[in-house]
Amino acid sequence: MDSISEVSDPTDWLPTPLPLLAPVDSALRCQVCKDFYETPMITSCSHTFCSLCIRKCLSSDGRCPACREQDQASKLRRNWAIQEVVESFKTARPQVLDVAKRRENEEDGSPVQIKGRKRKWQDVGGEREDAEGARKAARQTRSQSRKATTSAISQDIVILDSEGDDDYDPSGEAEDYPQPGDGLVPCPVCGARMKEEAVWLHIERCDGNPPKKLSEARSITPQISASRHNRPPQPNLIPRLPQLNYSLLKDGALKKKFDDLGIPNWGSRELLIRRHTEWVNLYNSNADSSTPKSNRELLRELDLWERSQGGRAPARDALSKKKDFDGKAWMEGNKSQFDELIREARKKRQVPSKKEGQKEETANDAERSPNMPSALPGQLALSSTKKMPMFAMPSEPIRDGDGIEDSTQ
Amino acid sequence: MASSVASKRLFQEYRTITNDPPEGITAGPVTEDDIYVWEALIQGPEGTPFEGGIFPAELKFPKDYPLAPPTMRFTCDMWHPNVYPNGMVCISILHAPGDDPNHYEHASERWSPIQSVEKILISVMSMLAEPNDESPANVDAARMWRERRSDYEKMVRDNVRKGLGL
Repeated sequence: MDSISEVSDPTDWLPTPLPLLAPVDSALRCQVCKDFYETPMITSCSHTFCSLCIRKCLSSDGRCPACREQDQASKLRRNWAIQEVVESFKTARPQVLDVAKRRENEEDGSPVQIKGRKRKWQDVGGEREDAEGARKAARQTRSQSRKATTSAISQDIVILDSEGDDDYDPSGEAEDYPQPGDGLVPCPVCGARMKEEAVWLHIERCDGNPPKKLSEARSITPQISASRHNRPPQPNLIPRLPQLNYSLLKDGALKKKFDDLGIPNWGSRELLIRRHTEWVNLYNSNADSSTPKSNRELLRELDLWERSQGGRAPARDALSKKKDFDGKAWMEGNKSQFDELIREARKKRQVPSKKEGQKEETANDAERSPNMPSALPGQLALSSTKKMPMFAMPSEPIRDGDGIEDSTQ
Repeated sequence: MASSVASKRLFQEYRTITNDPPEGITAGPVTEDDIYVWEALIQGPEGTPFEGGIFPAELKFPKDYPLAPPTMRFTCDMWHPNVYPNGMVCISILHAPGDDPNHYEHASERWSPIQSVEKILISVMSMLAEPNDESPANVDAARMWRERRSDYEKMVRDNVRKGLGL
């Protein structure tokens, strides 16, 4: 089970000294799943969503969730730039957040020695460098650059810091920095050293270019560009599955398609169509991904869907989960008819007559409870009332439309 | 099922609304075992007869959330043109854009996956302040609101007091 603390959220930044990162964090998230973009795709109307999210939305109502323009899944295009930004931000996030939180503690906690704070600022420099490129490394010592690389792997700034204590060599650092004990701190972006209070102002206009020492940067640049090439800028070669025109396919032909695709073909036609739609979405969004999953993994995801929304879903969901079935509106629109039928059924129960069989059928029909065995006349009134909660009706007894008295009791 | 899209997103929204709640609104799952049923508390907006009241409501999310909207039902007495006598809230943001049974709602006001619990609750709060009587859910309340405003306001205030146990 997920737990609330495992979920990262833009609001994480609000209590830190860096609340301005909250909108940055939020801008890198898909508005449908509220999580960081996964395989971001851009629509014809230039909105970006996760591949799976937008494919599900489009197969559900064919419109962009943001502006409601009509669009088609086949017109989606990958948004590599966003993907790259998201991935570097995700890597940097835990460390930046950690540093931000610690800085907050320092600010309202007991005073911390200057040296300790300075080390942390250097660590910030390290991780930014890791995420954004080598230019910023220019003013780092070689050992620090190495540390920054390990930091990306371990993702743990605390360990990084304690490890650093062993090989922390003020004299080595003095080669690159004017004076470790000069009371200055390095800019987290470019590494230039300045007075602490000047850093904030400087960050605003820092272009990331360190003032000098470009020789080291050159030595690291190839690594970074190599890592950029790990992410294939060219699409993978998995072909997309076409959408089917279900109305042109008879049941047998449809099931054969399912066999060809290797997905389960049991269930009603309506379920088959929903399953196929889900599979096409899963499959195609995986084909969009730069790191596609195996077919087996996709089948597991389909099975997950089957158990939450498909044929193995708990029965009470199966009723209302036809995508465009607005259960509430339907229930509300027909409430007076329900009440009417219930009233009549009650009346009939008191005065049994030959017309009962017919009434009962209508009542059952209106309730849409096909599983209910055709009720005996005597049970009718009871079962009607009992079935109502299936339409998200309140647990209180059904009222007869006399609203005023009800809501003022 | 724990990792399904719907539950993941609901956790995310729970986190957001806990960390940075909009004024006068709290909301969260009733139990952490079932993330699909939430309880919300809405403060009556100032300068309206609802002022001073706290109104509990229950939100139920479908398994294909956020493709489909949740339903919302006040669990207290609520005398309002857009709330059914049984407490169900009738507001355009809770209606899927597909069909428009009432033919008066703009598609732009309707449910879309980019909406959120927070936006629903804010809309409901402003609905309390400004009822929409074009297609009332509670016809009697709507008529009273239109024709006998002072009776309507008294009724609402009485409910508020009753809700607070006064």
